[in-house]
Amino acid sequence: MGTSDNTFRNFIRKHEKTVSFSDKPDIQYPIGIVEPSPCMEACPAGVNVKAYVSLIAAGKFHEALHVVRERNPLPGICGRVCTHPCETYCNRNQIDAPVAIRALKRFVADYELEHPIPKPQKTAGTREEKIAIIGSGPAGLTAAHDLAKSGFNVTIFEELSEPGGMLIAGIPSYRMPRDILKIEIDYIRNLGVKIITNKKISGKQDYNKLLKGYDAIYLAIGAHIGKKLGIPGEDDYEGFLDAVTFLREVNLGKPQKPGEKIIVIGGGNSAIDAARTALRLGSEVNIVYRRTRQEMPAEKEEINEAEKEGIKIHYLAAPAKIIGENNKVTGLECTKMKLGKPDESGRARPIAIKDSEFIIEADVIIPAISQEPDLSFLPKDHNIDISRWNTFTANENTMATNIPGIFAGGDAVTGPNTVIDAIAQGHVAAKSIERFINGEALEQTDSRTKPIETEIKIDLKNRPKTKRADIPMQKISERKNSFQEVEYGFDEATAIAEAQRCLRCGPCDECYICVSDCHKGLSVIHSKNGQDDYVLRLPPDFQSNNLADGNLHGILKSANGKDMPIELDSYIPVVKEELCRGCGDCVTVCEYDACQLIQKDGEIFVSQIDSDLCRGCGTCVTFCPSSAIQPSRYTSDWLSFKLKKIDPKKRNIVVFSCNWNGADFEKINTSKYKNINFIFIQTMCTGRIESTFILRALEEGADGILIVGCSADECHYEFGAKRFAETYAKVQQLAHMLGYDKYRIEYKTVSGKNTDKFVELVNNYTRKFK
Amino acid sequence: MDLVDQIKATNAYGCLECGKCTAVCPVSLFSQRYSPRSMLTKTIRNEFDSLYIDYDLWSCLTCRRCDAVCPANIDYSTLTQIVRSSAQDSGFHGKCSHAGAMELLQKTMTTKDLKQNRLDWVTNDLQIADTGEILYYVGCAPYFDVFFTDLDIATLDAAKSSVKILNKLGITPVLMSDERCCGHDLLWNGDVENFKMLAEKNIESVENTGAKTILFSCAECMSAFMNLYPEHGFKVKPKLMHMSQFLAEKLSNDELNLKESNTDITFQDPCRLGRHMGIYDEPRQVLKHNDGEHFHEMMQHDKKSLCCGVSAWMNCDITSKGIQKERLKQAKETGAEILAVACPKCHIHLTCTMKDKFVEDNYHMDIRDISTVVLERME
Repeated sequence: MGTSDNTFRNFIRKHEKTVSFSDKPDIQYPIGIVEPSPCMEACPAGVNVKAYVSLIAAGKFHEALHVVRERNPLPGICGRVCTHPCETYCNRNQIDAPVAIRALKRFVADYELEHPIPKPQKTAGTREEKIAIIGSGPAGLTAAHDLAKSGFNVTIFEELSEPGGMLIAGIPSYRMPRDILKIEIDYIRNLGVKIITNKKISGKQDYNKLLKGYDAIYLAIGAHIGKKLGIPGEDDYEGFLDAVTFLREVNLGKPQKPGEKIIVIGGGNSAIDAARTALRLGSEVNIVYRRTRQEMPAEKEEINEAEKEGIKIHYLAAPAKIIGENNKVTGLECTKMKLGKPDESGRARPIAIKDSEFIIEADVIIPAISQEPDLSFLPKDHNIDISRWNTFTANENTMATNIPGIFAGGDAVTGPNTVIDAIAQGHVAAKSIERFINGEALEQTDSRTKPIETEIKIDLKNRPKTKRADIPMQKISERKNSFQEVEYGFDEATAIAEAQRCLRCGPCDECYICVSDCHKGLSVIHSKNGQDDYVLRLPPDFQSNNLADGNLHGILKSANGKDMPIELDSYIPVVKEELCRGCGDCVTVCEYDACQLIQKDGEIFVSQIDSDLCRGCGTCVTFCPSSAIQPSRYTSDWLSFKLKKIDPKKRNIVVFSCNWNGADFEKINTSKYKNINFIFIQTMCTGRIESTFILRALEEGADGILIVGCSADECHYEFGAKRFAETYAKVQQLAHMLGYDKYRIEYKTVSGKNTDKFVELVNNYTRKFK
Repeated sequence: MDLVDQIKATNAYGCLECGKCTAVCPVSLFSQRYSPRSMLTKTIRNEFDSLYIDYDLWSCLTCRRCDAVCPANIDYSTLTQIVRSSAQDSGFHGKCSHAGAMELLQKTMTTKDLKQNRLDWVTNDLQIADTGEILYYVGCAPYFDVFFTDLDIATLDAAKSSVKILNKLGITPVLMSDERCCGHDLLWNGDVENFKMLAEKNIESVENTGAKTILFSCAECMSAFMNLYPEHGFKVKPKLMHMSQFLAEKLSNDELNLKESNTDITFQDPCRLGRHMGIYDEPRQVLKHNDGEHFHEMMQHDKKSLCCGVSAWMNCDITSKGIQKERLKQAKETGAEILAVACPKCHIHLTCTMKDKFVEDNYHMDIRDISTVVLERME
């Protein structure tokens, strides 16, 4: 029964401006990110670690991978070689051992190989602008990925025969199988990124072509020149091979045994990579490092494996002089060191011990002390600021160099650094390049890349100790002469068990499943503005189609197959103190003592809701006279959008139901009522149903309204049903006065969880409208 | 008229920044934040974006306390209404108390083919008619009494008493079964469109009854007919009288006699009756009639009287409660037992605070409508 057009619908129309809509005409609930967890904060690329770990725990592997890819386009690579600062900051460190986050990432990447999902569509080319990226390492690939996703035409120029930069030239295949690398690069190619290999940019002509032909240039050339040792004899003998050159030769050229006895100098990952590679080629390998194992910058796992494989590491030994004969290296004279006070880098300064020299025999020495970028490709008058370390100087917030339109990132800016840092800079550069092309300010606060520094307080006491899953490894005996991958991945059961060790620090898992998966009448967005944020703790293991219609709570299908009701944190209403009269009506209606009046200043009291006691029935919201208690769900906006489905061409029946009485709308055979349009609205408890809900439904054009609650003595919240009876009495009188016939509002109760009874009640009521 | 012209018409640009408005504003008295002067300054600086989302845009009671003292003759209350209206047009709304139930009822009453049963309260002993010269405009009291069951309030007593008095005077008043909300609250909230629809319907219904005089117990309804309808282009032909005016006239013509009473009484001037329509004397003439020494004025009365704390169901907050407590305290200090009211809103709001569980017992008064007081004293 339609009412005049000008009334409430106008009101709704005006309202539309203040809420956002999805394609479906449904309300979106904004969900705010409140506090990042330590793992997420630690990740330079801002990967939402907690989200993907909890998705893995829930067995949602594809979804987990999707979360990783949002901030890291190279999940399989990082799942193998990332230095995982996330694990360093994991709160589990304080209990037992960190969650094996890196291995979990690898697991989801590997999972996709066995359970493929459709390849990404080409996104590049929707915009005209062209961007040149020099270098196809992680920094370049990430920027290309982001820029292609934004629609730009991206071309990567790579000097080497294969794309990947240090990933292919530096990291040995026993750590990073080449097929994985290829798959991940192909993923980026699928977006429409062009990668031209064997193309060295060199000289003025090439450089000018770039400047003219492209709207922006990103220099991600890495640091591929090994630094010299600077000790006597270095230039006098044959038998020197710096680590990057050695690894490049092995990885991209012909793998050749470098020598019988070799010495690697240095303690970083490159040193270990060079040593383990040489070992695999049949050499006897010694590593010389001037501090102790504690200070060694290489990953602890890597050092362990190197030693297990039979590499001898000489700690507290500094190279002093090269020993040679007949123009050839025969050994290295070292000085024994002891540790002194910390130096600028914070590590203990090694001090030489007098008369402690000793000699290690060797026919090849591989220095792996540091690298710097090869800037020789630039014409002399390039004018780009270069630092004293021979790296590009770029603004750390934007990755912009001093020349507008030219950006730089990765090792070419930082000097030798980690893959994940290069990825992080790739993101920043891509964002800046997009802003540059759009003519926007480069420097903007981006909450995702710059997490707010907050300390998440979670209770670490009384947490049971759990064992971190061991990463399965190739047998030591099988490793010699083999470049087979040393680490194996987790199987599904191990991955799930390991992910379940996650403490889920912070209020929301931020898995965004609510966004992508939310069922029927409600889609959910993570709010971008800081205002009106709703905190949603939505466990990723819920099955959305079990959620009550339009509610942020419902039945959770847990991993073990048992159904259990879930309630989200957001059920706790918020008191708008400025509106609170301090009347205490909430204190009276709430029989859980969740509402209390607290003294603000002087005589002013305001209501406060104790989140520990609150059970979220919403009755206090219904009974707050000044509307100061704002619901986190079942808001008036939510109702408005539900009621938008009223169809003036049909007879409309609105059914309100409690969540606990077994009401199941799916069980109603709506198709047998041809001329009837049903609108099912489920609330937490009939106690939340305000008189306005019903009056508004009538006003909007509902022909009939049926409320199916629980009987008063069976109310899940003990008092909600009782309170609704009061509301109903009022509404009946008001509706009667407004001239609505009595049959149009009917209130029925169901005893226990009784779906059949619910269906019967709906059918009985509907018959009145035939 | 565009927004700036509308603002100009309120004289807002003539502000002298003297701050008298803020000094007398009842809201400012209890809210650290609210200042009419600064709201006006924001308005004339065109800071609408911040005004639209300002909680305090909806705090003004439009009680005209400031308007009465403004040396620059600024109509601040209307200014507030204009800005609210423009806020609503831009999609910003204030927070109505009771989850917007009252607003919803008012809007529902714009529905064309509504068949209300709003006269169910009329018992057989009351004589009423469908047509006639004298019309009694009931207002929304029947709805209020249902909605505020918890307050155990009977604002309908005013209507019942009024009809009884009229009957005793030999008058059979017209009561309209299709009476609609007068639209007062909607307009002050800024919803001009729906206000106009209600005005049109009411005027049409009144014309159909042939009434020459309309009597009101509700000061707001009367102010809608008297001020708001004409201001928005609706002609109101019948003579308009508040029950207090009607009773005062009857008393002075000796058509009505009142018994002496030993009960001390005081009077709450509704802002709509007093400052909006200038009716101060008649209710006092009625209450003092034949019983002058039992009538006591509150500390703030007549033009300076204090509003009941909430207007148009907006921003019913701790500030409102502060105003209401203050008003009840003033009433109590007169030593009166009865607090006579001439508007159901005063009746509801003051009762609500009185029944607040966290307000001490010494605020309790017997609140009655002026017609009820008169009926009890009629011979």
